[in-house]
Amino acid sequence: MSKQAISLERPRKQATRKAVSGIERPIAKIVEKASEVIAPLWPISTFIARHPWMELEYLPFSEVAERFQRMPGIHLYPTMASFRAALEKGEIDLSFLERKLHRWLDAQNLSVPRHEAERLCRAFLWNDEVPAEWLASSEWNQLLAATSWRNAVIQPLSAHNSKQKQRLDQQMIKWCKLFLDEGQAAWGLPFRELGLFGAWRQLVGHDPALTKDERQRLFDWPSAPELALQRVLSELNVDEETAVNYLEAHLLALPGWAGMLLWRSKQTGQDTALLVDYLAIRLSLEWTLMAPDLPLDPSMDDDVADDWRQLLVAWLHWGGMTAAKWQQLKAEEQCARLAFADRFWRLERYRLWLEAWEETYEEQLKTTIRSSCSADEQKPAAQFLFCIDVRSEVFRRHLEEAGPFETYGCAGFFGIPIKTRELDSHHTHPSCPAIVQPQQEICEVAAVPESVTDYRRRRNMFRFAGQIFKKVKQNLLASLLLPEMSGSWLGLHTLMRSAAPKKAGHLFRKIEETMEKKPSTALVLERQEKSEASDLPIGFSTEEKIQYVQQLLHSIGLTSSFAPLVIVCGHESATVNNPYASSLDCGACGGAAGAFNARVFAALGNLPEVREGLAQRGIVIPDETVFVAAEHVTTIDELRWIEIPVLSESAQQAFHLVESVLPKVSRNANEERCAKLPSIGKRPNDAVAEVQRRAVDWSEIRPEWGLAGNAAFVIGSRSRTKHCHLDGRVFLHSYDWRQDPTGELLSGIISGPATVGQWINLQYYASTVAPHYYGSGSKTTQTVTSGIGVMQGNASDLLTGLPWQSVAASDQELFHSPLRLLVVIEAPRYYIERLLTEHLPFSQKVKNGWLRLASIDPDSGEWVSWGRSLF
Amino acid sequence: MLFIWSWFISVGIVFVSGALCLYSRIPERYVYIHTRLLLLPAAAALIGWIGAGSGTEVGAWRFDGISWLMAFYISLLSWIIQTFSLRYLHGDRAYRHYFWLLTWTAGAASVIWSSNDLRIMAICWGLPFVGLAALTWLKREWAPSRAAAMQMGIMFLASWLAVAVLAVWIWTVTGKWSMSAALLADQLAEISFWGRIAMNGLLLLAALIPAGQWPFHRWLLESAVTPTPVSAVMHAGLVNAGGLLLARFSPLFNMPAAHEALFIIAFLSILLGTGISFVHVDYKRQLVASTMAQMGVMFVQCALGAYGAAVVHLILHGLFKATLFLQSGSVVPRPERIVRVKGGGSWWGGALIGLAVGMAFWIASPSEPTRLFSALLLGASMMIAWGRLADFREGRWLGLVTVVMLALASEEVRHFLTEFVQAALPSGSAPPSALEWLAFVLFASAAIVTFWIVRHRSSLLFVRFYMWLVHFGEPRLSTVEPHPHYLSIYVKEGASDE
Repeated sequence: MSKQAISLERPRKQATRKAVSGIERPIAKIVEKASEVIAPLWPISTFIARHPWMELEYLPFSEVAERFQRMPGIHLYPTMASFRAALEKGEIDLSFLERKLHRWLDAQNLSVPRHEAERLCRAFLWNDEVPAEWLASSEWNQLLAATSWRNAVIQPLSAHNSKQKQRLDQQMIKWCKLFLDEGQAAWGLPFRELGLFGAWRQLVGHDPALTKDERQRLFDWPSAPELALQRVLSELNVDEETAVNYLEAHLLALPGWAGMLLWRSKQTGQDTALLVDYLAIRLSLEWTLMAPDLPLDPSMDDDVADDWRQLLVAWLHWGGMTAAKWQQLKAEEQCARLAFADRFWRLERYRLWLEAWEETYEEQLKTTIRSSCSADEQKPAAQFLFCIDVRSEVFRRHLEEAGPFETYGCAGFFGIPIKTRELDSHHTHPSCPAIVQPQQEICEVAAVPESVTDYRRRRNMFRFAGQIFKKVKQNLLASLLLPEMSGSWLGLHTLMRSAAPKKAGHLFRKIEETMEKKPSTALVLERQEKSEASDLPIGFSTEEKIQYVQQLLHSIGLTSSFAPLVIVCGHESATVNNPYASSLDCGACGGAAGAFNARVFAALGNLPEVREGLAQRGIVIPDETVFVAAEHVTTIDELRWIEIPVLSESAQQAFHLVESVLPKVSRNANEERCAKLPSIGKRPNDAVAEVQRRAVDWSEIRPEWGLAGNAAFVIGSRSRTKHCHLDGRVFLHSYDWRQDPTGELLSGIISGPATVGQWINLQYYASTVAPHYYGSGSKTTQTVTSGIGVMQGNASDLLTGLPWQSVAASDQELFHSPLRLLVVIEAPRYYIERLLTEHLPFSQKVKNGWLRLASIDPDSGEWVSWGRSLF
Repeated sequence: MLFIWSWFISVGIVFVSGALCLYSRIPERYVYIHTRLLLLPAAAALIGWIGAGSGTEVGAWRFDGISWLMAFYISLLSWIIQTFSLRYLHGDRAYRHYFWLLTWTAGAASVIWSSNDLRIMAICWGLPFVGLAALTWLKREWAPSRAAAMQMGIMFLASWLAVAVLAVWIWTVTGKWSMSAALLADQLAEISFWGRIAMNGLLLLAALIPAGQWPFHRWLLESAVTPTPVSAVMHAGLVNAGGLLLARFSPLFNMPAAHEALFIIAFLSILLGTGISFVHVDYKRQLVASTMAQMGVMFVQCALGAYGAAVVHLILHGLFKATLFLQSGSVVPRPERIVRVKGGGSWWGGALIGLAVGMAFWIASPSEPTRLFSALLLGASMMIAWGRLADFREGRWLGLVTVVMLALASEEVRHFLTEFVQAALPSGSAPPSALEWLAFVLFASAAIVTFWIVRHRSSLLFVRFYMWLVHFGEPRLSTVEPHPHYLSIYVKEGASDE
């Protein structure tokens, strides 16, 4: 890459030149390649955890970190302060750090004496910055003038003029939010039906935010986005080689809006068409804004002298050199030293710290799991199926302690890839992980058809009032009277919520629930005619029913010794006034409550035809066994029954037993939860009351921690981890290797649930290490925009990740430890080897450091770490 | 007397308590006690309001119905917002500072309207705005916040100076610091014509700036950077101070020209504010723009001489807007609850109903201030509500009845408040009814024009108008940052600075 990648001609000359582009490859292909640096962003109402680098897993994590540090200037490793805090909390064992450092130095092809290098590295590991007073001295200036070795990064043209850059960003924010709006504006964007670029092309000539000249320059602009993009690339003299990088840089300027367009584009089957539109607009505007500055003065490049100075001074102070000695070095030796220091200073030291942190965690987890002894072979009274979610771990542990219960973990959609349609609704929801395509649609219908009318009447009354409020707001005259018409009621509401947050919160929730309460309903499980709306078959065929149940039971290893009661637990959260509510719901159910799927699974499990089919395939479920659907409300750790079928006698007994222990289980889980949530002053005495308040208090900024803290994913039998205090940091997926001779089930778990876990983990990771870029900023200054996401303050990128308050206990203290997911599989060694050879995407993740892998030998209990060295 | 003393003592206690929050020696959980103490002034004001007759003068202070009402309203608001902040701002670097500054801002705002001394008035006018700018400045590590705070500071200073100059000027002319004495008709008669014009101008300036009216709307439109509770106190307790200022100085603020100017500015602001809230898609921006329009309504009422209606409007709007801000986390649309708008239906039916209701109101309430204006708005509301009937089938009548009942109850509250406030205000000279008819015609035509323009979405006129409104509502560059960069500094610093 040359330093001046985009040599620029005079605008006049450009204007005379025809738009002949040197770019032969189709624009769509280039854009598609460039779009690897961003990830699609789902609307906030169905928050899908996704990690920002999902298309970059073919590169090592460290390489991506280096790339991002150069280009948008984003640091992908935790900061030194985080490491220090972790060290204080005992989360980092320094011997690991030491070992890592030595191993790293050994692996380097050092051009520098080892002891000097080591001394320098050690100083870098323990000092965030070079002390300012060392830098202040001016005697280094001469030495500094010495060399120039770093390649320039390809930057957008507009990066050279910060004001135009700001204008460009603001323009793009504006066009994106107006185009993507979902009914928030009373007057929508004109010409929206022409697409993003089409609408822009029609309107830009009337945009008062541009000067007359700027508008003029776009006067005869092409009306097709590809042509416009081609033209502007040629105007800017970006050649084919650098085009991808150039476009990447533009996508990374506002990755959230670009990600949302990518999602919308894919959703409507247009691949990356909207991104082409986006880039065409962005580059066209860039060109028109920057045209007066062209050609650029090459000397305008930002100098990196500050970094230089630090490195050099570090060598002199910590590397034990003197100025004289330094000057004696040959130019290439100087460069080598600086390059060495630079790489260690910018990236490697963070990597070493992070890996030491991760290994310490692995060590601690190893010890915890080893210490577990599972001797009790009591016959369980009830078996529970929970979501893999880390919040289930706490609840399961307390449940198991309370009685003869067995729990299993699986993805919270229970292996049923469906779209759900709730009673009397025109909306369907894909209730399965984002990486799975829904296969069927399942509808909820009223048990007594006549009761629908009654339900509608009640519900509509509520919605009608809401609709009037919204429409009155959108009328010039009527909106002016709205405060008089509603102010006293809203004031009363606010007063009640302030005076008694808990009571009022419960009251309002109760009212809402009463208004929306459904009559008793049934599910349509039988195959019906095709749905008009979703193109999916409605209901299951008999074979599908059997297959779904069998698959799940197999994969979690529950194929015999069924308890009389099998409880299928979906989960959801309960919060108010929280735009991120869906981020606390079940990620495996497409960012929504998991109750529907639990209900479907339980219903399938009770069908005689399914039982028969299962028996033929070797899974005999006793007649007395009944499947019951329930829901784990995570915010308050309560288990609620969704549907209770007729119970057999033994199931009835088990049911009573479960009911009798649930209050205690909730209390214990609540106490553990409360100890982690920040409180004002000392912790509240009554944990149950406290979590109940958090669930309904409209001012609560941290209703629950969600999945913060997640660090590992254990695939194996529960007996291995039973009685282990895993601190709500571990995803648990049940798996019995003995039932999986071909490795197919394991492979399925890895592609499905473990990938969901990895995405969640990296989303938390990204939101913690770069909260400003991959998080979504402080909740207090957010504004919901276009009905699809949030921005900060007056305007910003569409923010993609978790809010600051979801990963940090306060502005000074992080709660989430940014560690990459440790996948632990309980299976013999050759299972893992087979998995790694056969499952290429997974072995790529392991090899490239997107997650870490360990296994436990089922017989010997030996713990094997499958690091990169094993490849 | 006792009432007044207990009021001042409770305000004093709250100030001390707010300052205590700042001390790091005091444990953090003290904020609980502090927020409970905030109920003291609210209670004292309520008791004073009920117990004390109107027009009690104590030294430089004069307590009438409006003073008590505003003291009660703002103290209550302060308690609501600080109670909300307990959990909402927890973990913020400036957590303790928020309580002190919120107490300061609300406390200062609650005493202004009981001062009967021009000096106190002039000083007190600026204090809450200093508090507001300081509250915005608290997140100074964030560039947009800094820029917004600076902008606010400059604008508020101008408003403050206007009031200060006015106070001194009145004193030089009348020789009296006491407001009730200086604002008597025979005293004011001594002011020259040009002096009056200038004074009315100063009053306008002082009142329009904090209300974010055109052409001083910039600071308001860019204030979406403040944390939600600060926005709530700003929109509920501070932007509306201008209406009260005009009400207090109504004996002086009585030139027809000034009223006309006020009306025109307010009318423009209503159109602009409403237009911005129609085209923009971010919730807080819509709220902010709507405040601009609502403050326009307040000033239209002032311009029509209906100060009582204006005061009631500013209070009800405060409650309305504070609630919407505090609830702004709930506005993510839930896909399963989105109502499919059926559209269609004849708007004639709605128009007829609206006309009938409007007329009925106009005939039924001859004593109502600005009844023509109110009748117009009421008719329009009725028309909208009627039009929504087409979106639903089951339950719509029940819904309509509920909505109408709720609205009627609200109307009762408004009516009661208006009667009360009306009684407490000096009966100023009402401007000629021609102005009210003018208002009626202007608003009705504006409504008809927008109605027409929206039906011609692809016309050049609409496109231009749309793009211009979008541009007008956009913040300046300095108050926008694509990514909140300060958080990367937080993680870099960790706990090191505490």
